[in-house]
Amino acid sequence: MKQSNSKAVEKKVFIDLNQRKERLLIFNQPGDYLIFFKNLSGKFEFIIKEKNVNLEIYGVYHGKIQERFQIETIQHHLAPQSTSNLLIKGVFDDQCQFFYRGLIRIEKEAQKSHAYQKNQNLLLSPDVFVDSKPELEILANDVFCTHGSTTGYINQEELYYLQTRGLTKKQAEKLIIEGFLSEIRGTILPDE
Amino acid sequence: MKSLEFKYRFGFSMPQNYVYKAKKGLSEKVVEEISFLKNEPKWMRNFRLKSYQIFIKKPLPTWGADLSQINFDDIYYYIKPTEKRANSWKDLPKEIKETYDKIGVPEAEKKFLAGVSAQYESEVVYESINRYLESKGVIFCDMDTAVRKYPEIVRQYFGQLIPPYDNKFAALNSAVWSGGSFVYVPKNVSISMPLQAYFRINAQNFGQFERTLIIAEEGSFVHYTEGCTAPIYTTDSLHAAVVEIFVKKGARVRYTTVQNWSHNVYNLVTKRARTDEEAVMEWVDCNIGSKITMKYPSVYLFGRKSKGEVFSIAYANKNQHQDAGAKMIHFAKETKSRIISKSISKSGGRTSYRGLVQIMPEATQSSSYVSCDALILDEFSRSDTYPDMRIKNNQVSIQHEATVEKIGEEKLFYLMSRGLPKAEAESLFVNGFIEPVAKEIPLEYAIELNRLINLEMSGSVG
Repeated sequence: MKQSNSKAVEKKVFIDLNQRKERLLIFNQPGDYLIFFKNLSGKFEFIIKEKNVNLEIYGVYHGKIQERFQIETIQHHLAPQSTSNLLIKGVFDDQCQFFYRGLIRIEKEAQKSHAYQKNQNLLLSPDVFVDSKPELEILANDVFCTHGSTTGYINQEELYYLQTRGLTKKQAEKLIIEGFLSEIRGTILPDE
Repeated sequence: MKSLEFKYRFGFSMPQNYVYKAKKGLSEKVVEEISFLKNEPKWMRNFRLKSYQIFIKKPLPTWGADLSQINFDDIYYYIKPTEKRANSWKDLPKEIKETYDKIGVPEAEKKFLAGVSAQYESEVVYESINRYLESKGVIFCDMDTAVRKYPEIVRQYFGQLIPPYDNKFAALNSAVWSGGSFVYVPKNVSISMPLQAYFRINAQNFGQFERTLIIAEEGSFVHYTEGCTAPIYTTDSLHAAVVEIFVKKGARVRYTTVQNWSHNVYNLVTKRARTDEEAVMEWVDCNIGSKITMKYPSVYLFGRKSKGEVFSIAYANKNQHQDAGAKMIHFAKETKSRIISKSISKSGGRTSYRGLVQIMPEATQSSSYVSCDALILDEFSRSDTYPDMRIKNNQVSIQHEATVEKIGEEKLFYLMSRGLPKAEAESLFVNGFIEPVAKEIPLEYAIELNRLINLEMSGSVG
């Protein structure tokens, strides 16, 4: 999958959900789409109605103080042979709250679909609350779907290592957070 | 090997010869009658009546499988098959013995397995308590006996982990429960052979509401196994069990279920364990039969450094919905949990994994790992995954992953190029898929499971 993306980078349609206030996106033209959003709450539906649609969906959350995010994403495959790949990364501090529900639904007609979903959260404060629900509803058999979710604190060994190199704890944390978010930033920036 | 023939899968039923059969339907009077017939103490009678009130008030769950077809007025809530309890195999009534012969209980006995406690209808009629168990001070009896003989222990734990207001079916069970096992393992006693219980439903429209309570004192170990089979009937049956397990400091309990109800049974079971410091609780849960199963074995990790594990297999064939999963609630520091789930859907069957991992603010340094894999064998079938992770502190490591796939064409082609017919190749693949969980099951169950999968897979659709 990845190879076919890279050769057609320039043809990718870029959709910034923070600018386009749409919540329901219907894809009925084949092609590569890159969707990005940051710190948004709400319900987002990505409906694939055509073959050979290739969606990459990236969400970034960086929450502080008492911010509260509630987000729901639906990757709805109604047509065969399309791909959707969602990655949401969150860094949460203070008394931040993050509620995430992500659904991949593959209808009977959508054979040979590939759908992926990943949610990774980094928790910086003991008072944050994260609720992550990565869900799958698969009604076709010839598909490949995976989802994953990880939530945890900054790796203590990484933090310690950086500190032995002369960084303060704050600096080390910042560096690790930047590295954590760079997976998405690296994908988005060349296009911006 | 006779016991491994699967004729019983297609259903058989013995003529009924019951001593007492309550009227269909449920009312306060029926609940009182059950308690009266069992000659129960007042506290249990009041517990039942209170639970009945909760049951009628509670709505059906709004999530999960479709339960709208259950007609609570069309079910017998209590049947007592024989007056006296048999102490040895010879004393059992002939037709009950025949039923067991078909599921292979005598085989199990021959293999020197521990005490066989077999539940026929709503009461345990046969129970061979191994002398070995007695000498170790282990109590293993049916729940009704326990209420009479060990009221001080039972009262202390009964309904403490799963109170009647927990859910509608826990309330129903609390009101009309009958039979089930009571296991008490004293401090530092380790029982190496699995304790076994066999459950059956054999009356049309008869719901079985067994109640099991296991208490493992400090430093003890016990492995409890249950296997269910039932004949096929035309009208729907209901099975709503409650299982409570207390795992004390440093103790370990393993609970294995191989559930193979006939395809008209609603299997709605509440299973919960509580772990104290450094205790380990393991659920091994295989759901192959029933029309609808809703079952989420859970572990409440109350003690520091305690550990909870669930291994589960779900198999849904035509018209079946297996809505199974697990719940892990971390209350204490340094607790660990792991859930491994494998599900297979075929010929229009539906499997759903539904799970919860919750980390309370106090449960720092905790970790949880969840992995669910689903296999969909044809285009008519469906698979869902509904996990929920609620994390209330940051000193944790929580991981969840799931995959959904079909049998790989290349792998199938390879096996077939080696001379295996398609059906056999598929069986091999499926058995390999469930192997990580199947290896946790006691050998005889594992063999049965393997045979069952082969039978189910052998190309016969419907």
